[in-house]
Amino acid sequence: MSSARPHPVAVGLIGLVIVAIVVGCGAGASSVPPSNLATSSPAAGATVGPGAAPTKLVVGLGYIPSVQFAQFYLAQQKGYYAAAGLDIEFQNKIDLDLIPLVGQGAIDVGIGDGTSVIPAASNGIPVEYIATIYGMFPNIVFAKASSGITKAADLKGMKIGTPSRGGSGWTMLQALLASARLTIDDVEIIEYPTFTQRAAVEQGAVDAATGFANNEPVQLELDGGTPVVLHIDDITPLPGPGLIASKNTLETKHDAIAGFVAATLQAMDEIKAEPKVGLDAAISAVPELAKARETQAAILAATIEAWSGPAQDARGLGAIDRDGWTRSIAYLGTLGLVKHPVTTDALVREDLLPPRE
Amino acid sequence: MNRGAWLPVVGAFAFFILAWKAVVIVGGLPDYILPPPEMVAVRFVTAWADGTVWPHFVTTMIEVVLGFSVGAALGLIVGYGLARSELFERLASPYLVAAQAIPILVLAPLLVLWFGSGLLSKVVICALIVFFPVAIATMVGIRSVDRRLLELGRSLRATRRQILTTLEIPAALPNIFGGMRVGVTLAVVGAVVGEWAGASKGLAVLINLARGSLFDIPLMFATLLTIALVGVALYLVVVVAERRLVGAR
Repeated sequence: MSSARPHPVAVGLIGLVIVAIVVGCGAGASSVPPSNLATSSPAAGATVGPGAAPTKLVVGLGYIPSVQFAQFYLAQQKGYYAAAGLDIEFQNKIDLDLIPLVGQGAIDVGIGDGTSVIPAASNGIPVEYIATIYGMFPNIVFAKASSGITKAADLKGMKIGTPSRGGSGWTMLQALLASARLTIDDVEIIEYPTFTQRAAVEQGAVDAATGFANNEPVQLELDGGTPVVLHIDDITPLPGPGLIASKNTLETKHDAIAGFVAATLQAMDEIKAEPKVGLDAAISAVPELAKARETQAAILAATIEAWSGPAQDARGLGAIDRDGWTRSIAYLGTLGLVKHPVTTDALVREDLLPPRE
Repeated sequence: MNRGAWLPVVGAFAFFILAWKAVVIVGGLPDYILPPPEMVAVRFVTAWADGTVWPHFVTTMIEVVLGFSVGAALGLIVGYGLARSELFERLASPYLVAAQAIPILVLAPLLVLWFGSGLLSKVVICALIVFFPVAIATMVGIRSVDRRLLELGRSLRATRRQILTTLEIPAALPNIFGGMRVGVTLAVVGAVVGEWAGASKGLAVLINLARGSLFDIPLMFATLLTIALVGVALYLVVVVAERRLVGAR
């Protein structure tokens, strides 16, 4: 007895193989960094000649539109990016997958800090830190002065609000607690996925919360409160958020990204000298911010202050504190966040920074 | 069960693994985008061995079991009421359907806000998601009981309770277990969604930690595998219970 027709199950399995290969090819094509497809684009780092197509860069800012991104808005509006031959597409959204997407090349430039870049690189995600935005680590724990909290040890047994159990704020909180020989189990965590932890502190729903030095404490103070802020910088300096890109993108779009860095730092210098231009640029980009101009001005002032740490004071905005990175790798290793060894040289690149006088 | 029955199952699983591996190789996908199956398998074993998964697994299982129990119990009661009372069905159906139409993903943060980020909110979320399929399956099952059987029971002066326990429930069991099969897998979904909305422990919390803090994508996949295995195991428990009470189908 023989069967002339193929068995239906066999046909189905063969079809599944074909689908799997097609999906793999499609995923492989999409995982190829866009820069590999733009080989005819001129390298851009300075002014591009007439007729040359601008180099497109996708920049993931990692958060919703905010005055905290004033330098990007200003550089865009004043044509600094265009002058550098760049066509910038900003992605202003909260993106938990920002760093893997940068590593994959789906996003050309992103924003990440040491608490994210170090574990990510340790787990094989090929990203590098190319310019500092925040010289001070902006993630903090804040509370009302009436809570009696003045140091990390006071957090024991307290209710602490946080947006999620992940990300830089979560790592910062663990580091802060560890400095007082506490763990997450010594506090009660209340999650506020919609970032309403400031209201929770104001209303007494929690005793303290994680936030950003240039946001929640500023708003708490403007509402008439007296905030207490616990900085991780006081315990161990962690590299603040800065510009990151994948190793592959840095090779294929080096000059374009260098131009982006230079334009962004130029805008930061201008805003630091005259904050009003940054506020106006932010309101021009996000008109809703005009409804609370005084609040936004206060947030921007705190943001500008956070741009500068000792390294930036010495060598200008954007400068990278390599020693700080080295210490941070060791410190995060003690928290179990460095799965495989990484070195500062593998994580940090300074060749994209513009020369400073 | 003879080898002829097991072979296709094992073969299909092996084929799934090979297809996964093929996608990784042909696509040139890095580990942090799609880790190969052998990497996930190793991470699965190490994560269980070093105790990473266990506390989260226990938390999720408690939520699922309690949530399913509450949801199924309520579903059985309301389903019977829907089947036997036209008035109750007319009054309750619009609200039941409306509640089911609202995505649990939208409701979950509200429920966490109302019931806290502890066990209670997760049990409520699980119960809500389990309730509807069990209630509808119960309603259909009870309504499908042959009226002649009920008439026979009444003619023999069976009490209401006797009719319920000896006629209605046994006849409706196949449908009820159909709803239970769906409900138990949805209970796992409910637990995960509830944890996503706010929790200190649980498999969904572990996924968020692996993804957002540790960047340990193999661990994330190992946790997904754990969730899948939990769903499959609970489904098989319902199937075994069904076979014992109803017989093989």
